[in-house]
Amino acid sequence: MNGNGHSNATDGSARTQRFFLPDFCATRSVLAVVLISEIVAILLTLARQELEHGFWTDLARTSLFLLWIGLCSAAALCYTRARLARLPVAHASGLAITMLVAVALAISEATWWIGHYWFAGMQGGVASLFPVDHAGFLIRNLCIAFIVSALALRYFFVTSEWRRNVEMKAHSRIEALQARIRPHFLFNSMNTIAALTRTDPRLAEEAVEDLADLFRANLRETRNQIPLKEELEVARLYQRIEQLRLGKRLTVRWDLGSVPLDTLVPSLVVQPLLENAIYHGIEVLPDGGTVSVTGTHHADRIELRVANPVPATRAGGGAGAHSGNRIALDNIRERLELAYPGATRVQVSEENGEYVVTLTFPLRPAAEGDT
Amino acid sequence: MKVIIVDDEPPARDRLRRLIEEIDGCECAGEAGNGSEAIALVTRETPDVVLMDIRMPGMDGVEAARHLSTLEQPPAVIFTTAYDEYALRAFEAHAAGYLLKPVRREKLTEALARAGRLTKPQLAAIAAGSNQRRRTHLSVRVRGELRLIPVEDIAYFLADQKYVTVRHRGGEELIEESLKSLEDEFQPDFVRIHRNALVATRHMAAIDRGEDGQYSVRMRDLPDVLQVSRRLASELLKRFRS
Repeated sequence: MNGNGHSNATDGSARTQRFFLPDFCATRSVLAVVLISEIVAILLTLARQELEHGFWTDLARTSLFLLWIGLCSAAALCYTRARLARLPVAHASGLAITMLVAVALAISEATWWIGHYWFAGMQGGVASLFPVDHAGFLIRNLCIAFIVSALALRYFFVTSEWRRNVEMKAHSRIEALQARIRPHFLFNSMNTIAALTRTDPRLAEEAVEDLADLFRANLRETRNQIPLKEELEVARLYQRIEQLRLGKRLTVRWDLGSVPLDTLVPSLVVQPLLENAIYHGIEVLPDGGTVSVTGTHHADRIELRVANPVPATRAGGGAGAHSGNRIALDNIRERLELAYPGATRVQVSEENGEYVVTLTFPLRPAAEGDT
Repeated sequence: MKVIIVDDEPPARDRLRRLIEEIDGCECAGEAGNGSEAIALVTRETPDVVLMDIRMPGMDGVEAARHLSTLEQPPAVIFTTAYDEYALRAFEAHAAGYLLKPVRREKLTEALARAGRLTKPQLAAIAAGSNQRRRTHLSVRVRGELRLIPVEDIAYFLADQKYVTVRHRGGEELIEESLKSLEDEFQPDFVRIHRNALVATRHMAAIDRGEDGQYSVRMRDLPDVLQVSRRLASELLKRFRS
């Protein structure tokens, strides 16, 4: 099922696109409906103990009846899809099943009615193809319609979840590649190192080592989960390099309290947040400021909070500069969601002149869930 | 040749200074950490060339260069940047000098030899192409010196036939810019209330309605009262209420 992490980022059309029921207005889906109807028709005909009119005639009349139901159901779903997509999955499924059963009942009733009145008084021939037992016919069809539509919906749901998962994995891999260290940072660091090689060769040497470690961490397969401790070390490497460049303007306050540092997280969930905080929050302030990284731990949940001051000039106009920030956040959200489906949250807020990103994810010590 | 270095990062400044001192006939006449400091330094030192970083806190490099270009004897400006796609595209398009950090010695020597002044249209085009379009200050020349007016201190602009009067916390000044271009640059913080008046919303105290149905705007810290044109009144009231 869809986790909370995603729902806030979706708009109407994206939701309709991601809805688990396919678009029944499309020819491919109509073809699928025809096939499903035929399969059910064959099944029902085969299952019948004594054939009244021989196999082919029975199959033909069942097919005709079921195709009516199938195509009318497709029409109903085609018409209501956009509205169903707006509901939670459980409600949408319930409503869709009710609708399909209603269609089946309406057509059964119509069939009985045609047989009863149109061919009333006739014996044999076409008239004998119609049902005789009114109530029995309706009840049987109601049960069959319920079972078949529930199975079909379940099938559509599972395939769509599977497809979504495959897409999400591919997407997050690409995003992870894109979100890797900003070129801005790389070139600025190179410039700092170029300056330090003459004034302070030892510091330059350390900076090169830090940069190498940071890039190694960045090239690591991002699907892998690592202990939180390692991720924080990567963030600290990053801080050290930025510190050389920004000097006193940058202060980072780390407060991880009692957070168990062996819990597993996808790699690169903290470092990009620190990078954003410095790029958007500190670099634009003439006197710099403080970024605080705070971790708290409640029962089986961990909350990490990265806060930076909001520059006054940004508060009014200056939008657009944040698009890089959004990409990084979406990427983190997606990778957390892949690691812990439905159990994570990425929240962004502005409070007391601070821009705050809060990550919430479950506690999972390395020993239990090591992959 | 007198050169001034403008960059917010001390190591970056150190490196450029050393490179410049190693070039014959060049001297470093000072360093500044952002745009406003650079302008003060330029008016004091009158350098030949300014090496100007683009991304700086406070006033950025492109804006500082725009202000400098209003000087009677503006210095040549060479932009420096570690990485900035937008700016580079603009520089290429308008033949402005730039250097990529870390700066190579040969490139620096070459750029200093060729350094030329940027024209105002060139700078305006570069500013439009960079990702920060909005200036943080307006500059006016007062007795050969550049005076910077922070945009947040400006209460309103009033257009005359030829000039625009800038009314701000510290007094008033005349500038040669059109009200239309100011409006485009500074909206939505400034609103047009009349054909000839553009007012900062944060400096507005109240909107009054006169006996004749004419609206007027009272300012927060100034005694001035500005007329609102009938055509723009309803829009202004709507905005002010929300």
